[in-house]
Amino acid sequence: MGWILLFSGMAGTGTACAETDVGPSQASASQAAETPSAETPSAETRSAESRSSENRNCLRCHQMATLAYRNPENGEIVDLAIAPQALSHSVHGELACSDCHDSDFGQYPHPERLKGETLACVGCHEEHDDAAERVYRFKTIDEEFKHSIHVTSDAPEVAGFSCHSCHDPHAFRNSEIGEEIAQIVRQDNGICLSCHAEIQDPLRDPHTWLPKPEKHREAVRCLDCHTPLSEDGQAVSHRILAGKDSNRDCVKCHSKAPQLLNRLYQYRSETDLANKGWISKAVFNEAYVVGMSRSPLIDRSALAIIAITLLGLGAHGYGRYRAYRRSKENRT
Amino acid sequence: MSALYLYSGWVRTWHWINALLFLVLIFSGASMHFNGAGWLLDFQSAILIHNTAGILLTIGWIGFIVGNLVSDNGRHYRVRLHGFVQRLMTQSIYYGYGIFKNAPHPFHPSAEAKLNTLQQVTYIGVMYVLMPLLILSGWAFLFSVYLPETLLGIGSVWVVAMLHLSIAYFLVLFLLIHLYIITTGETVMTNMRAMLTGWHRDDHQEPEA
Ligand code: HEM
Repeated sequence: MGWILLFSGMAGTGTACAETDVGPSQASASQAAETPSAETPSAETRSAESRSSENRNCLRCHQMATLAYRNPENGEIVDLAIAPQALSHSVHGELACSDCHDSDFGQYPHPERLKGETLACVGCHEEHDDAAERVYRFKTIDEEFKHSIHVTSDAPEVAGFSCHSCHDPHAFRNSEIGEEIAQIVRQDNGICLSCHAEIQDPLRDPHTWLPKPEKHREAVRCLDCHTPLSEDGQAVSHRILAGKDSNRDCVKCHSKAPQLLNRLYQYRSETDLANKGWISKAVFNEAYVVGMSRSPLIDRSALAIIAITLLGLGAHGYGRYRAYRRSKENRT
Repeated sequence: MSALYLYSGWVRTWHWINALLFLVLIFSGASMHFNGAGWLLDFQSAILIHNTAGILLTIGWIGFIVGNLVSDNGRHYRVRLHGFVQRLMTQSIYYGYGIFKNAPHPFHPSAEAKLNTLQQVTYIGVMYVLMPLLILSGWAFLFSVYLPETLLGIGSVWVVAMLHLSIAYFLVLFLLIHLYIITTGETVMTNMRAMLTGWHRDDHQEPEA
């Protein structure tokens, strides 16, 4: 059991994982994920009504905020509660519970054999017809995730880390263009901060080297520095980097580096535009990144040329003044 | 002593609004560019001021171009090719040499031609090349989402940023030289008075703009 129920309405990235070990409430037949056509009627073919009546049945118990049990093996509390609001607003909000979970969960008490079964996000998501058109390919996510520090680290905290550790399937929602940037950043970083408590502690925070750390935290996602630039066209990689491998180079954002800069800038620009329309976008442009246009070469040469020009003009003026004096003397 | 009315009301209005906006843009632009240097505007106000002034400058520039198309001020921006190089040389030699020898001004403004050839090419370069590039790159910044991801293999935003920055520097350079050159009229204030009142007066016999 390695999953943690996180904040609802998480933002920023897609959902992904390989074989994932999930708690009983989420456990389902993995074959459901692998062969969705055989077992699970697709969301479209099923009437919305039958879906919602099924979900109501499940939520009768699972919407209780305190529904949980203590895992007898390790003593951990396993949270079984689902917030119906968050669920219906999530990416999976259109689905019936049994689209992912074994339909035999409909029996109560739930059959023993279903417990401890696994759910494969990647399998299911890659089988969707639109898999190839998605911005995020789950196969790619899976590849990236395998190299993530959340997988490769031997720290005990990351044991059993899975997609669900960050992306609660019952609440996850992609952030959308048009949402308040600050809101997206807050939600996104909230996911990281929910485990990385050391960052909240000024004595242990490894970000003290950053100028204006608070401003950074409000304006930039953790991911923007803690993931490599992906070449595959996906906006953000799922390969979370170790602190020591993450970007520490200010100039990667505060200057030209096209990818890292554009990733942030374009997104913010689009959001600005969607929120405000183009006139106020033009006036308030929130997307400006300090130093983006900084170029030491251009700055230095331009300032040098300007200085030389000023000297030249000064000298010219002095020459004119002397000529003027001479002409006055000649006249008198 | 003669007086010529060379700078009509709209030219003067445009010019001084433009000059004011330019100073505001330079200061607010520098505040963004060198943000953190301390002696500048704070970032948020700088953005607001710079973008607002930029929009007004765009409107002003369009006004100037249209004004030159419909009024007879436009004639001063049409280069006469006949003797062009000769006139350019003469004017340059005057600024580089003759002016120190109290040589007479080689150019005399008239209603037909108020700008000497050197002024003319400078103003054409500034108003018809640099300003539009500056304005376009400024707007491209704001609407970079509509640009391709990369231009010539480099991130578009960066290309735009460097263009905007370089042109801004060029125009600062222009402004410095412009400010100096206008003092080289008949008297130090001759040209300044002309741009303020419209009237170009020459108290001596050799007028120049
Ligand atoms: C505080 C700054 C400025 C001052 C004091 C100033 C002063 C003057 C003066 C006295 C003239 C008339 C003399 C002449 O024709 O050379 C003039 C003309 C002109 N200036 Fe400026 N100027 C300033 C800024 C600018 C800027 C920023 C620009 C353009 C970006 C500019 C563009 C022009 C043009 C195009 C003309 C000729 C206008 C015409 O008659 O068609 N000036 N300026």
